[in-house]
Amino acid sequence: MAVDADPARDLVTQTVLYNRLVGVCREMGTTMMRTAYSPIFSESRDFSCVLFDREGRMLAQTEFCPAQVGAIRFVVKWLIAELGEDAVKPGDVIVHNDPYRGGVHMPEHVVIKPVYYDGELFGYVANIAHLVEIGGMAVGGFAATATEVYQEGLRLPPVWLMREGEYNHDVWRMIMSNHRAPRYTWGDLHAMIASLTVAERRCHELLDAFGLETVRQVSAALMDHAERWMRNEIRAIPDGEYEFADHMEDARDPPARDWIRLRLIVNDGEIVADFTESDPQAAHVLNCTYGVTASGVYNAIFHFADNDVPHNDGAYRPITVIARPGSIVNVIHPGASVGGNTETHPRIWGIVMGALAQAVPARVSAATGGTSCNFLFGGTHPDTGHYYVHYHFDGVGWGGRAAADGNSHQVVPNGNCPATPVEIFETRYPFMARAYRLRTDSGGAGAQRGGLGSDRILEVRAPSITVSALFDRMVSRPWGLYGGRTGDTSRLLVRRIGTPTFQTFGEAFGTTSNSRIANIELREGDEVLIGSPGGGGYGAPELREPEQVLRDVRERFVSVEAARAVYRVAIDEIDGRFQIDDAGTQSLRRDLAADSGLEQIAGDSLRPAADAQRPEGGRWERLDGDWWKTDVTNCVFCGQVIPSDIWRAGDGHQFCSQDCDTRYRTYWLPRYGQRADARSQ
Amino acid sequence: MGVRIGIDTGGTFTDLVVMDEASGQVDVVKLPSTPDEPSRAILAALEQAGIDPASATYFVLGTTVAVNALLQRRGARVLYITTDGFEDVPFLQRVDRKFHYDLDWERPLPLVARRDCLGIRERIDYRGETVTALTADGIDDLVGTIRERLTDADIESADIALALNFLFSYVRPDHEARVCEALSEAFPEIPISASHEVAPIWREYERASTTIADAAVKPLVSRFIGSLDQGLRERGFARSWSVMKSNGGQMLSHTAGERPVQTVLSGLSGGIIAGQAFGAEAAQENVITFDMGGTSTDVGVVADGRVGYTTAWEIEFGLPVAAPFIEMTTMGAGGGSIAWVNKGGLLQVGPQSAGAVPGPACYAQGGEEATVTDANVVLGRLNPDNFLGGELPLDADLAFAAIERTARKVGLPSVDAAHAVVEIAVENIAEAMRLLTVQRGLDPRLFSLVAFGGAGPLHAAAIARVIGTRATLIPPHPGLCSAFGTLLADIRVDKTWTHLVRSDAPDLDELDARLRTLVGEAVEDLGREGFSGEPTILRSANMRYLGQNYEEEIPIPDGPLTQDGWQRLIDGFEQHYEAEYGYRIANEVIEVVQLNVSAVGAASKPQLSAIPDQPPAKPRTRRRVYFDPREAIDCPIYEREDLSPADVIDGPAVIEELDSTTVVHPGQTLSIGSRGLARLVWA
Repeated sequence: MAVDADPARDLVTQTVLYNRLVGVCREMGTTMMRTAYSPIFSESRDFSCVLFDREGRMLAQTEFCPAQVGAIRFVVKWLIAELGEDAVKPGDVIVHNDPYRGGVHMPEHVVIKPVYYDGELFGYVANIAHLVEIGGMAVGGFAATATEVYQEGLRLPPVWLMREGEYNHDVWRMIMSNHRAPRYTWGDLHAMIASLTVAERRCHELLDAFGLETVRQVSAALMDHAERWMRNEIRAIPDGEYEFADHMEDARDPPARDWIRLRLIVNDGEIVADFTESDPQAAHVLNCTYGVTASGVYNAIFHFADNDVPHNDGAYRPITVIARPGSIVNVIHPGASVGGNTETHPRIWGIVMGALAQAVPARVSAATGGTSCNFLFGGTHPDTGHYYVHYHFDGVGWGGRAAADGNSHQVVPNGNCPATPVEIFETRYPFMARAYRLRTDSGGAGAQRGGLGSDRILEVRAPSITVSALFDRMVSRPWGLYGGRTGDTSRLLVRRIGTPTFQTFGEAFGTTSNSRIANIELREGDEVLIGSPGGGGYGAPELREPEQVLRDVRERFVSVEAARAVYRVAIDEIDGRFQIDDAGTQSLRRDLAADSGLEQIAGDSLRPAADAQRPEGGRWERLDGDWWKTDVTNCVFCGQVIPSDIWRAGDGHQFCSQDCDTRYRTYWLPRYGQRADARSQ
Repeated sequence: MGVRIGIDTGGTFTDLVVMDEASGQVDVVKLPSTPDEPSRAILAALEQAGIDPASATYFVLGTTVAVNALLQRRGARVLYITTDGFEDVPFLQRVDRKFHYDLDWERPLPLVARRDCLGIRERIDYRGETVTALTADGIDDLVGTIRERLTDADIESADIALALNFLFSYVRPDHEARVCEALSEAFPEIPISASHEVAPIWREYERASTTIADAAVKPLVSRFIGSLDQGLRERGFARSWSVMKSNGGQMLSHTAGERPVQTVLSGLSGGIIAGQAFGAEAAQENVITFDMGGTSTDVGVVADGRVGYTTAWEIEFGLPVAAPFIEMTTMGAGGGSIAWVNKGGLLQVGPQSAGAVPGPACYAQGGEEATVTDANVVLGRLNPDNFLGGELPLDADLAFAAIERTARKVGLPSVDAAHAVVEIAVENIAEAMRLLTVQRGLDPRLFSLVAFGGAGPLHAAAIARVIGTRATLIPPHPGLCSAFGTLLADIRVDKTWTHLVRSDAPDLDELDARLRTLVGEAVEDLGREGFSGEPTILRSANMRYLGQNYEEEIPIPDGPLTQDGWQRLIDGFEQHYEAEYGYRIANEVIEVVQLNVSAVGAASKPQLSAIPDQPPAKPRTRRRVYFDPREAIDCPIYEREDLSPADVIDGPAVIEELDSTTVVHPGQTLSIGSRGLARLVWA
């Protein structure tokens, strides 16, 4: 292929190469989808495929799942640093799911394979995917009531599945004997490895076509290009410091809450997301790993940037995340974390959205439903006698936005997985869907209405099925913006066979929580109702055009009663047809303030004090733990894992870089002062 | 010997190509479409061509009637009938988003109203066993509910159709079939589409969406086919005739009326087949076909001389239609695409189109909005007096006025605005071409562009520059290429049988018998389509490892499916799997999910006659044309019929002909091949 003399400047080459790199990842994804055993891959695409360069910088990705992609950025970099480049040979495949080493949560397994070209290391191909069963205290790798990592399943530090193309049988046997459904694990791990094989082959073709040096130069140019572009996008957000807080909940009596508090600093094309004042790590599963917290922030910020910005390493550079180790946003050993990815990530996304609502009110949305409605089950299939297990999630209503209603029944922002069709679901598992509907009035009322949540009723069609579930937003409703009302909560109910009504799991089984349950055994004929939350409304509902309210009533998105009570539109039903009662509407709306328009809240333009200095006497050290060491060291400033080389400051604090040391002095100390000691481990 | 007639009726123009089977001589007619009654333009074109329909041996129609109705949501009002409790499936969709990071995206609503989604008590499970029986009372209630719904005047639509989609109808269709029968008795005048006939596939939403699409276009398509058929009969045509299918083959006209969803890309596949043929004529195995008409642009890829197939096509994101398609991209960019200014103050072009009526402002049919065609008039690239050979004179003043209104909104001088409108349309199209090639790992710079459609040659040179394609080929009669393609289409019949067969217990006698039946049926259909030669039979099986959800299509070895043949099929799967994915799963059961048989009757490919030698062409006239908004160039204007292999024309130049205009930009050179194929390259 002919390219210009300086390929880094040849824009056509850049475009072609970038799309080819993405094409490699996309082909990995197709391979994965076509060869996988679990519908969670083949139907729901709960995996992501990424290409890294030799330094562990992300070159391209297929974006199947935003939460995974944000975190995998760290995993590979840290993994290479921990193992050392020399340890990885051609034909090796390494697997890893350790939440304290950059993992997302334990079900997400990363497999990586080095790509060598003419004997030289070019980079790595990696696939991160949700394995459906990983052992632990509850079926389906989702131990909603766990309090520490050991209950959550089999934890794998980086270990070799394949060594130079040969099976590393010991590791396989160890994994298989700790998972409840080893046949799925076996099939899905092979699908992941197959995707790496295809990607490696495509990389070779690409390197044949362009040459190793050209690919390196152009990739570097592409990362710089993405970084510049992202900075420009961020510059469209007014500089300032914006705060917002929201919480995670446990639907028990009384409800328990953990607060996440964000200070978001936008400064000339850079963003710092500072979670320092969030609640401590909790003894439950909603803690986030650093990767999950960072993903939530990236995910939200990317909504304010052009979709065409290449999502390689450069796009992430202008964003810094500060997450205190040992807090709910940066779990340390042995804290549990399985719900961080599905529940806390969308909340963090919403918190960033809430903070930016003060900066760019016309570009944000009200809260999304904000829970994945995780519902896990397993048992022995009566047809086959085989053990099966499944991870089910549902779509939620999204928040209203300046120009449009929120979308209904849409996957939460941390993922982008299609739902498993009813017909595939029932063919595989002994549940039968009795109903699957949108829920009228579940969208938060507003000038722009929140999207609707859904209801799904599943009937048990086997002698017994063991279920677990993890929900949020069951007590506190998704917030509205600028006068928009809250969306409806989620719900999880059960109707035992022979009883007339649906009850909470607390009522039916005496569980302490209605939103976190584990290992409940249901009997044939029992029914479960999974209700997903609605999105918040945007703008006062009284400002919604009566015609639009009428349309919503006709389509049963809004009831006649809600139209009257909340939207203040009187609608008559005559012979099954709906009509606006103009006089009635006028009188309902007469007393309202003429204008409840948007008000922009300007952030204080607080700049970090720049006069503090790093103390003298800092030095680089190599971390050398005992061979059985299982925990990791975190940077005192940003909270990231430090896999091998550590910067020990003059005052003894440990940082991942000198830059973090400086920013600790210039940004963090002046703000949080004496509490600094609490951060040192 | 008689004549072959190929018709392509698009949203804007109706094209007719007649070829004399003995001489290879081709006649063409192009008339504005009559979207309210598309057959009128076709019959008028036949008349204008002076053909006696009785002398035609072959009549094939390509049509965009179905796809345009779907894209513009102009289909019938559909009442969707389904298993009680699942009425919202068309709204629930698959929950995923088009973009990861876009708060502005609005989930497309289905082509039904939520209050028209009706449930009936019945339920079949995944094994085909009855969980809830279908009752006569239930059917009566449903009929009553439908009658009630039909009186709802809040939904405007002239046409009504019913779409039936029951859970697990692909396993056991009898509930759905019974209701279908009862409803056709109760509502004999309302067309019905039933999912077990339209798309017997698993995945209830994909099946729902496909069945709804079929129902939505059925009244329109069957009325169109019926009235054309009647018109042809009245004019003495007595044979059966065919409609292009989305898969590039043909089907009998009455079948098309019953199953219109298979004709969704009917009008487009003809163009790709013609593009492939013209690429071959110029010895180009790798071509991007670029068909730009009045309403839309269709882009196809021919790699190594072959087109690709797919079963996935979406009306828009999240609204799938599952049927066999030639792989292509369609976008709302045509001569009639409207220029508008978005909320952010940025100029946008399309996807809304002014269509044939009112058409661009310069058509002087009441269109007010500035379109791509108006912009080309302002830039001097289109000749207002020679559009459609002067049959549709354009009003340049109206074009200027419309562009001027748009220009004011964005604060640009008129010529700059006109230039920007064309550039934006060109960029949009180039991006679609990149998507189809680069993202599949193909380098578009190694491809040639075959540009056709009325507006294709007008924009081809600019697109070639953006993408960097090698050469641009412009066929003779570029505006009638899709119609020409219908003359080249093979007769293709696809038959499938969905049934699970496990490799540990295969009933080979049954499988073999079923294969023979499928082949027999396919060949019989081929005969009914008028094919009498030796057909090519393609047999394949969709296979997977037990437990997987996606299948690989594996060719079935020739000969009867004996124990030996079966073993070779299994080996074929495992070899393919290992080659593709790097491993095989020893001792795992393999499932055959579906048998596929295609019978292809190769059409005798007509050859264009060579064009006679002529002296080098002279420009007919000159006019000022903008290639750069800052200055107009005094530009020679040629007639395409004056050009011959003796000519090499350096840009800037404009070549005009009846159905299209080719723009040669400064720095480009145009030459002509022996059969009239024009070739445009950078000097």
